[in-house]
Amino acid sequence: MQEQKKILVVDDDIDMLEQVAIILKGEGYQVIQAQGQKEGEEALLTTIPDLAVLDLMMEHMDSGFVLCHHVKRLYPDTPVILLTAVKSATGMDFNPQSSDAASWVKADVLLDKPVRPEQLKQEVRRLLKV
Amino acid sequence: MSTLEANGQQLEVRKGDTILQTLKRGGIHVPTICHMEGLLPSGTCRMCVVEVEGMGGLIPSCSYPAAEGMKVRTSTPTVLKTRKAIVELLLSNHPDDCLYCARNGNCDLANLAKEHGVRQRVFRGERKRKEKDISSPAIVRDPEKCILCGKCVRVCEEVQGVSAIDFINRGSKAFVGTAYDEGMNVSCCINCGQCILVCPTAALTEKNYVAEVMRVLADPGKTVVVQHAPAVSVSIAEEFGIKPGTDIDGQMVAALRQVGFDKVFDTSFTADLTIMEEGSELIKRITEGGALPMFTSCSPGWIKFVEQFYPELLPNVSTCKSPQQMMGAIIKSFYAKRAGIEPRDIVSVSIMPCTAKKFECSRPEMGRDYVPDVDYVLTTRELAELFRIVGVNPAFLEPEGADSPFGERSSAGKLFGASGGVMEAALRSAVFLLTGEEMKDYKIQDLRGMKGCKELRVQVAGLDLGAAVVSSLGQARKLMEEIKGGRKDLQFIEVMTCPGGCINGGGQPLGANMESVKARMAALYTIDREDHLRVSHKNAEVQRLYQEFLGAPLGHLSHELLHTHYHQREVMQ
Repeated sequence: MQEQKKILVVDDDIDMLEQVAIILKGEGYQVIQAQGQKEGEEALLTTIPDLAVLDLMMEHMDSGFVLCHHVKRLYPDTPVILLTAVKSATGMDFNPQSSDAASWVKADVLLDKPVRPEQLKQEVRRLLKV
Repeated sequence: MSTLEANGQQLEVRKGDTILQTLKRGGIHVPTICHMEGLLPSGTCRMCVVEVEGMGGLIPSCSYPAAEGMKVRTSTPTVLKTRKAIVELLLSNHPDDCLYCARNGNCDLANLAKEHGVRQRVFRGERKRKEKDISSPAIVRDPEKCILCGKCVRVCEEVQGVSAIDFINRGSKAFVGTAYDEGMNVSCCINCGQCILVCPTAALTEKNYVAEVMRVLADPGKTVVVQHAPAVSVSIAEEFGIKPGTDIDGQMVAALRQVGFDKVFDTSFTADLTIMEEGSELIKRITEGGALPMFTSCSPGWIKFVEQFYPELLPNVSTCKSPQQMMGAIIKSFYAKRAGIEPRDIVSVSIMPCTAKKFECSRPEMGRDYVPDVDYVLTTRELAELFRIVGVNPAFLEPEGADSPFGERSSAGKLFGASGGVMEAALRSAVFLLTGEEMKDYKIQDLRGMKGCKELRVQVAGLDLGAAVVSSLGQARKLMEEIKGGRKDLQFIEVMTCPGGCINGGGQPLGANMESVKARMAALYTIDREDHLRVSHKNAEVQRLYQEFLGAPLGHLSHELLHTHYHQREVMQ
């Protein structure tokens, strides 16, 4: 049997975190949950995830980008999915679809929240090649 | 003949007419916002007010019945002042980002402001703050630009029978949103884009992929292949100021080559292929037993609709993929192999009159080995945008033909663009497949035209076939209910999500009225009348594809590449 793939999920919203974890566990992955950027950074020091699913805005507006950089610096082969819910109310007009954004964001896939479970599963399968 | 007087002119009043209808027929222009042709009036925006002698105040002409002897005046100072004030009030909380707006140049609100001479901000209201919803793969919503005309809500409910969006809250807190105010991505939205066509501002737009396509076009390591749908060539001309209903197929192909696409294929080719597969599937279901009536599966909005609302009828939906996905699948299998290119180095772009195709190409069923069959879908509008950015005007180019091996098409495949076209094409080939003889007259008048539901009974080789054609999901819903209620006289049903078919798709040029949609339809019929190849089964390139690659319709490879199965879908997912 193939080794169970390990996925790190980071989100400061506990509901979202649980929801994503349930979807991924249902697919048979081992899920490591971290609530927020700080917990995420700590988790990265103790585990080598096969894939990371990160929220964008957590403690800081750019938490997701920072974590993304950490993941890629520590484990360059680990693919990252960045979940974003762009809030123009925060004054941050970031469009992950635009070519400019895609050139400096180090994530492999950007998904706009809310994400359909089918969509998330498909991207995870594609990145993990399972 | 009863008449009324409008601005001193006598106009005929027909029974059931509103004042607005009478005025329009008489050539008198009255501005409207919330008015929708073919639907009951809602009378909410008050833009269409007129004065009627003997009646106090201003009368909304869209919802007031016209009557004998009325004296209507449409441009008195009070009327004009009121209309201008309405526009000024609508602008009071509107974002002033017109230069960066997707509707720059064709915004109904901007046009009204111009028409009414609005030159300054008279009212300064509090800006509405609500985040953009970009979660859907097909449609972007920007509630800050919404003027609450309610047309999207009405088209979604009354025409499509979906009700994905509705008004939330009241008064100044009101906005249009999805259930639980979650994103469109997790709503029952079927991505048809009819809401975009009726939206007067940029509150609803398609998810734009022009930048992505330009990026891959600039990448020398990628082979960029494009396919274009049957309904695009008869509508894109409108984006370049050419009159509706002009077919510029050849010029568009030339323009696609100029912007840098390596190969240009015609989706009508796979429409012919669809007929071979779907026709064989229908005959198999009738002769060997299978779920009947069989529904067509070309329209991705319709597929999501069945998955969500009528999952018990999923076995009745044809297992054929849509022509777009069939083309995608053979591009990344047969063509890739033949051209000696790795499927992941091919970028497959498709030009569609449809926003739901953007959703369809991202479905997990539509790819193999983690490679999607179609990478990007551009609507007719986005293609026009791409042409403008690159500086190519198809009107000035010499027509060129599509590329082999998927360039030849029959005019039956081209008819897929209009409601009834799939059925007409299917019957032409079914008659041949069952009797071995060609039809005497290929034209089937009963299946043509804009009617929402068309039915036909045909006798072929001892088979008595009941066929129905519906366009718009509101019509489809009615028929589904009849079938669930025990109706058994139908064997084959064509469903198109948009009223009139793809020619009126959610990705088509904005600002079109019923007349331009009819002109697009007529253009397809003209192509069919004048074509030398009018049946799918005689398409030589389709025959060659079967000989060299697929084997036979419904064969092993066909099943793997051209067919799929759909599953029940929870609405919030």
